[in-house]
Order: sequence, then structure tokens, then C-alpha cells
Amino acid sequence: MIIQIKNLKKTYDGKIPTHALKRVNFEVKKGEFIALMGRSGSGKSTLLHQLGLLDSPSSGDIIIDGINTINFTKKQKNEFRLKKLGYVFQAYALLPELTALESIYLPLMLSGVPKSQYIKKALEMLEKVGLSERRNHLPKEMSGGEQQRVAIARALINEPAILFADEPTANLDSESSETVLKLFKKLNKEIGQTIIMVTHEPDDRKYVDRVIWLKDGLITSEGV
Amino acid sequence: MNIKAALFLAYKTIIRGSKGTLIMTILIMTLAYVNLIFISSIFGGIVEAINEQYINNLYGNIVITPASDKIYIENKQTSSINYIPGVIAVSAHYINDALISYDENKDGNNIQQGKWKIKSVNVEDEKKATAISESIIAGEYLEDRDRDKIVIGKDIAGGYGGDLDYLSLGGVLIGDKVNIKFNNNIERTYTVKGIFLTKNNQADQMAFITKKEMESVLGVHNLSSEIIIKTIEKGKEKQYIEQIRRSGFYNEKIRTWEELTGFTSSASKSFTMISIILGVIGTIVAGITIFIIIFVSIVNKRRQIGILKAIGMKESTIILSFVMQALFYAIIGILLGISIILFVIRPFFVDNPLDFPVGWVSLKITFDIIKISNISLMVAALIGGLIPAFRGTKESILDAIWG
Repeated sequence: MIIQIKNLKKTYDGKIPTHALKRVNFEVKKGEFIALMGRSGSGKSTLLHQLGLLDSPSSGDIIIDGINTINFTKKQKNEFRLKKLGYVFQAYALLPELTALESIYLPLMLSGVPKSQYIKKALEMLEKVGLSERRNHLPKEMSGGEQQRVAIARALINEPAILFADEPTANLDSESSETVLKLFKKLNKEIGQTIIMVTHEPDDRKYVDRVIWLKDGLITSEGV
Repeated sequence: MNIKAALFLAYKTIIRGSKGTLIMTILIMTLAYVNLIFISSIFGGIVEAINEQYINNLYGNIVITPASDKIYIENKQTSSINYIPGVIAVSAHYINDALISYDENKDGNNIQQGKWKIKSVNVEDEKKATAISESIIAGEYLEDRDRDKIVIGKDIAGGYGGDLDYLSLGGVLIGDKVNIKFNNNIERTYTVKGIFLTKNNQADQMAFITKKEMESVLGVHNLSSEIIIKTIEKGKEKQYIEQIRRSGFYNEKIRTWEELTGFTSSASKSFTMISIILGVIGTIVAGITIFIIIFVSIVNKRRQIGILKAIGMKESTIILSFVMQALFYAIIGILLGISIILFVIRPFFVDNPLDFPVGWVSLKITFDIIKISNISLMVAALIGGLIPAFRGTKESILDAIWG
């Protein structure tokens, strides 16, 4: 198993505490493409944030690649995110001052990879997402779909164990959405990339191996 | 902390960010820097002008006066001072407080008079030691052979304006006769040969006659009331004093120009204090400006900061990138500012010095002023960049990305 979630709870404090996740348990196999689905407020994004170590759960265990991350320090989380996890956010998640190529090689630069290697690898990744001709374009010079493909390439450049995608097609037109989802599927099939994606689009089910349905902070069902 | 990544981000943000913001920021930094240097330099220039006035017109760098129990200094050792390395001029004076009278209509009905200091000079020595001979505004300076000639300051002559004009002789012209009653009651008449204006109040209230003439009035020979010594540089007077003492002036009072200019010294300190206060205010303003610029940049980049953290960039690397931007603005501001100061403002003030009551004032730009201003602006940029960057990156990833 690449991910094991045990009794995961997340409560937001306040005058009236909000129980966003209530004892969530599930496992993800290496190379699976999973969709987290549910209505707004069901807890799917909260769950993704906990899995991606972007937030800290109230209790429970998150075991990724055999490592329990629950007691990670801030520094360890940073390091783990950089080396093991990749993220694709909703649109407009690129730095406006960086070209497509620069956006993609930034994580490698952070990892201390030599320049000649990270440029070569970033060019390969650009080719993989079909944007070789856009390498010197800034985000404002690209469409939403192209920007999202650059974000995917950036997320994959460090060869993460798991790719997290938080409603990656939410701000895209249907054509661009299809391109992005097909790309996810291709990466999943060709390189066995484990992907966990939050989506609210029922049509997206056809691209994934498994859907985990959430309602009121609980998993209600699993299946395709 | 990844310095390479921080530098990369800072560089890309600067070259691909808003050009208008970049130009405006650098302009503000440049003006802040020019302000720091200009304020310090102009006050430095005023202090320098005051000091130079005293050195060049009254005291030289060192003044020897008689021992407490003596009226005069014996001049037998004076020549030995000339051989001290670094001494460029030695001029001995007799000083006499005298009553000077002027009867403009020569009818005894409207005699103007007052008590002023008259000094005697050995003309050639005096020309080397003071700048009085170069400050003549009417007539000529003395020559050694002059016996009945006098050179007077504009505050004695009168007619040249100024606060002390009402105490003057009311408008003495070159060639006019003035009567002088010395403090030994000897009276003589002198023809006004020259009138000088130094802009130093004390100097402009003095009159000069030749040494031989004064010795004939006082009935003394080869003595002096004071000896002024000009040295090649300021600031090392104490070292010269030791050498002067060793050359035979064991009991005489030997003081530096700074010790003799008590009021001016306190004025200099006041100007220096004002300069420091304005410099600190200027530095704080520059720091706040950078703070605002970086703060606005961070507010606008809140989401990007969240994304950078999400992909594994350390907070320290993000902070360093913003601090590098702030330091870049400061460095460019310093380079442009120093260019403007050295190639525009300084040459302008050299050609067009300011006419202050204390003299002609130009900018006194020293290495210390430049060094302190550079450090001040860099520190202001560092703090101004660090605080908002530190605060901005402390926000949680989720809050930064989704608000």
C-alpha cells in the first residue's frame, strides 16, 4: 500500500466545532488513480489536504510509503512534500514571473539537482505534457488548460510517489478539462503514477480506477 | 535555505515584475539615499565652513599665547617651529585693544568711534598663515614697509551691512584717515589701505597694522602676543603641540583651534546632532518605504507563496528571496544615488556654493558619510524586507492558497 489512512479526524475549532472528517479509514495501492467525490462540504478537499500534508489532522494516522507522517515536524513535512508528493491545484497556480520551463524545473532546483540535469528533465517533462513549444511562455501567454498542464509537469518533475490534484479542472472549459484528465490517465497508465484527485464532476469517474464518496466527513462508499 | 532558488526567484520577480513598480521603487531608494548623503554633507559643509573660517582667518591650527605671568612671548624660539615637519606657516602678532575714531567731515562734529582689536603682522608670514589678505574687498593689503597704513574689517569700516553695522565707523572709505588710541594711550593717525570681509564676525571686527609700526607704538622688539601656526592637515594638532613644546615653549599656553572656538564647537555639535537626527529619520522613511513595497508584493503574492510552500520550498528560502529583492532595490538606489551625488549635485555645489552667514558652504562628502549612508540604507532595506516577508510566509499553506 502506498497510503494507509487510519481513524483520521479533523475538527476545526470555533464556538461550534466543525467535524470535517470523522474517523476516515482507507488504503490506496501503488499506481491507483482515485477520485474523492462528494457534495460541497463533504470533506473531500479537507481529506486531500491532510493526505498531502498541507494541513495537520486532529487525530489518526497517515502512512505514506510505509512512513507514518503524523508526527512530522514542519521541516520534515517540507522535505517530504518536496521529494515524495506532487500537487496540482485549481487553475492559476503558477508563478506569473516564471516561464513554463522555469516553473517545471523549480522543484528540482529546490532539491539541489545540477542545472544541466534539471533543464534536461524539465524539457522532457514539457514534451510529456505536450507543451514543448510553450517552454518560454509566461502563464499570461498560455490558456488555462496549458497552464494546468504545466502545473502537472511541475508536480511530476520530482517523480513523486503520489500526485494530489485538487479540482484540477474546476476553472477549465470542457475541452481543456478533457485534455488534463486524459493526461492524468496517460501518466497513470504509462508510468504507474499514483493519483488522488478531488473532483465534483460525475463524468470524471470514467478516468479513475476507484471513487471514494464522502458525505459529512465520512466515507459512504467506494467503487467505480 | 536554498540560496540559489531564492536568488532565482528574486531575479525573475525583478526582471519580469511590473516595470513601473520597479522604476518607482528604485527612484524612491535613490532619493532616500541622496537625501541621506545630502543632509549629512550640507551640515558637514556648514561645520567645515565655520571651522575653516576660524582656522584661516583667526587661529590657524594652533595658537601660542604667553604664560600666565607674562604679557608677551619671546620670539627667540619661533623660527624653530618652522622646521617641524607639517608646519606650513607661523605668524606672530602683537594684539592691542584700541579706540578707533573716524571723523568723516573732519570738523569734529560727527566723530564715530569704537574699541576694536588691532593686530600687527609680519606681512609675508601672515599671508601664509591666514586668508585675510585674500579677503580684501576694497583697497589693498599691507606691505612690510607700510608704517601709517591700516587694514580694517568690514564691521569696523561700516557701510557693508550686517548685524554689527550700527557699531561701525559708519562708512570708512579707502584713503580715509582714522585716529587710533592704543591702550598705552599713544595716539596715531592711519590711512585706511584696505577693507576686508571674511564672513567671520570675530575676524571682521579686527584691524591690522605692520609689526614694525606696532613695535614702535608699544616700544618693544621681537616679542609677540600670540603666535598662530598653520599645519598641513587638521586633526593632528595634539601631536604638533608636543613637538612645539619640545622646541622651547615650555610655559606658554598652546591650544588648538578647537579649544579656542567654544561657541563654534557647540554649534558644530548641534549641526552634527541635527544631521544625525535627519539621517535617522531619512533611514526610517527608506525602511518603511521598502517595508510597504515588500508588504504589498507579499499581499499580492499570497497565493504564490502558499504554492511555493506546498511544492516544498522552505519559508527561509522564500523570505530570503524577498530580502534579496529589497537589497537589490537598495543597492541600485545606492549606485544611482552616489552617481547623482558625485556627478551632478557635488559639481553643482562646487560651482555654486551656498552663501551662508558663516561663509561659502559646499557639500562635504566624506568616505564616512558614504559608508554610514550605505550601511543605513542596506540595514533599512534588510529590516524593511525581512519583517513583511517573515510575517507573510508564516501564514498556513491553506490560508495562503485559498484565503
